[in-house]
Amino acid sequence: MRILYIDTSSNYLYTAIVENNKVLCEVKKEFGHQLSEMALPEIVSMYENNSIDVKSINKIIVVNGPGSFTGIRIGITIAKIYAWSLNIPITTITSLEAMMISSKSKSFYVPVIDARRGYCFGAIYNDKKEQILKPQHIKIVDLEQKLKDTKDYIVITNDDINIEGKKESYNPDIAKIVEYFQDKESINPHAVNPDYLKLTEAEESKL
Amino acid sequence: MKDIYVLGIESSCDETSVSIVKNGTEEIATVISSQIDIHKDFGGVVPEIASRHHVKNITIVLEECLNKANMKIEDVDAIAITYGPGLIGSLLIGLEAAKTLAFIYNKPLIPVHHIAGHIYANSLVKEMEFPLLAVVVSGGHTELIEMTDHYKFNKLGGTLDDAIGECYDKVARVMDLEYPGGPKLDKLALKGKVTYKLPIPLKDDSYNFSFSGLKSAVINLAHNEEQRGNELRKEDLAASFQKVAVESITLKVRKAILDKGIKNVIIAGGVAANNILRKAMKDLTDELNVKLSIPPIKYCTDNATMIAAAGYYAYLDGRRADYYLNSASSAKLN
Repeated sequence: MRILYIDTSSNYLYTAIVENNKVLCEVKKEFGHQLSEMALPEIVSMYENNSIDVKSINKIIVVNGPGSFTGIRIGITIAKIYAWSLNIPITTITSLEAMMISSKSKSFYVPVIDARRGYCFGAIYNDKKEQILKPQHIKIVDLEQKLKDTKDYIVITNDDINIEGKKESYNPDIAKIVEYFQDKESINPHAVNPDYLKLTEAEESKL
Repeated sequence: MKDIYVLGIESSCDETSVSIVKNGTEEIATVISSQIDIHKDFGGVVPEIASRHHVKNITIVLEECLNKANMKIEDVDAIAITYGPGLIGSLLIGLEAAKTLAFIYNKPLIPVHHIAGHIYANSLVKEMEFPLLAVVVSGGHTELIEMTDHYKFNKLGGTLDDAIGECYDKVARVMDLEYPGGPKLDKLALKGKVTYKLPIPLKDDSYNFSFSGLKSAVINLAHNEEQRGNELRKEDLAASFQKVAVESITLKVRKAILDKGIKNVIIAGGVAANNILRKAMKDLTDELNVKLSIPPIKYCTDNATMIAAAGYYAYLDGRRADYYLNSASSAKLN
């Protein structure tokens, strides 16, 4: 079982090809605004440098958000085109799940991504990795409020967020992420779409 | 010679479109998913909403086009993509899709400038004869481009501020016409007379245009009439505006034809659908004994057919992009 993993939801490109729980090759690089330009060529080099046939992939796992809107669309577009054209099973996970699974802690998990103006994208998982608070666009103070009775939790983030609690930075453990989600039910590539967790400003101002 | 099939992808604004064209001249199949009804509620295209719809639609539009053509991606010879200019977030979706397909199927990736696409909409109608003058008029562009041969572009001039189509839409808003108001203004003008006096913008010796002054003149005129308690005769204002806007185009087209010894004129872009412009261009080219080509309306608005057509000539010209190709919101035509 050979799985392609793609996450472009932050400033980083996180991609890997995982076979039988072993990472065959991976790229973890920061690109910022050059992500759109660099994502595909980096993926191509990963295939070429390791002599991997583009058609040898059995499944694609792609991160559908939350995070940078443009970033998410890059990974989703590459992944859905790939899955659709070669008829490869595909499934989506959230960036927050990826952060939670990668953590080495044994407590409640609170992955958060800065969403500016006092907001973040965040979720809460318990020590059994079960979802306690679903991924959402939430005020940081409200998230803190929801955590006030939780004794032992770890905040996972790569952003400079002022939030109460012990912090841990995020470095994806792609082998672990893929192992955890490899049996997740696949979906029709046409239905693979970003989950922004937030309306556009134009839509919000209409509410 | 072997037939060349080019698959074109266009997503520069609010249309997701895919098309397959044979030898740059024959449309095999085209699918366009327009978001016009979505953006209507916001009075114009909202870039983030447009990007969100592109990513939702892209594989669906691709699949529909291939089904319509009864072809597979393996069957096409190259993939042509609009890399710019346009809305950056929108452009990116088509671009990532095209790059990914080119990689998976090992097909040449052909970068196409959106304006080149509009120009090559004409090759779907009849063979282009050179030297020619391309009059590009759309919501995002107003340009005069001289071509001595396929893919030899020489920009003579362009708008210094708003594009003509943008000006039409903004003026239409003053007249309470729903977005996109340009075509509605054109219809309304047919019922009116030229009674309001408006200035012809940039009546100078250049090949350039300017439409923001005209837009302001219309806004001021409407405002003054309101203050004086006069009823604004919308049909007449539409007719008066159209006359001036179109005259500013024909003025510079006439100059270019005479200066450059042009024998063929083509019109390209969404505003090529405008009735008054079509008639004025026909009268002008008849008078100067020059051939005129105007593509049918379906090829005037944004579509991937024109991108695939342009892509064929770019392919013959040896143009190729690698996987580092990036979208460029303000790409230059060359």
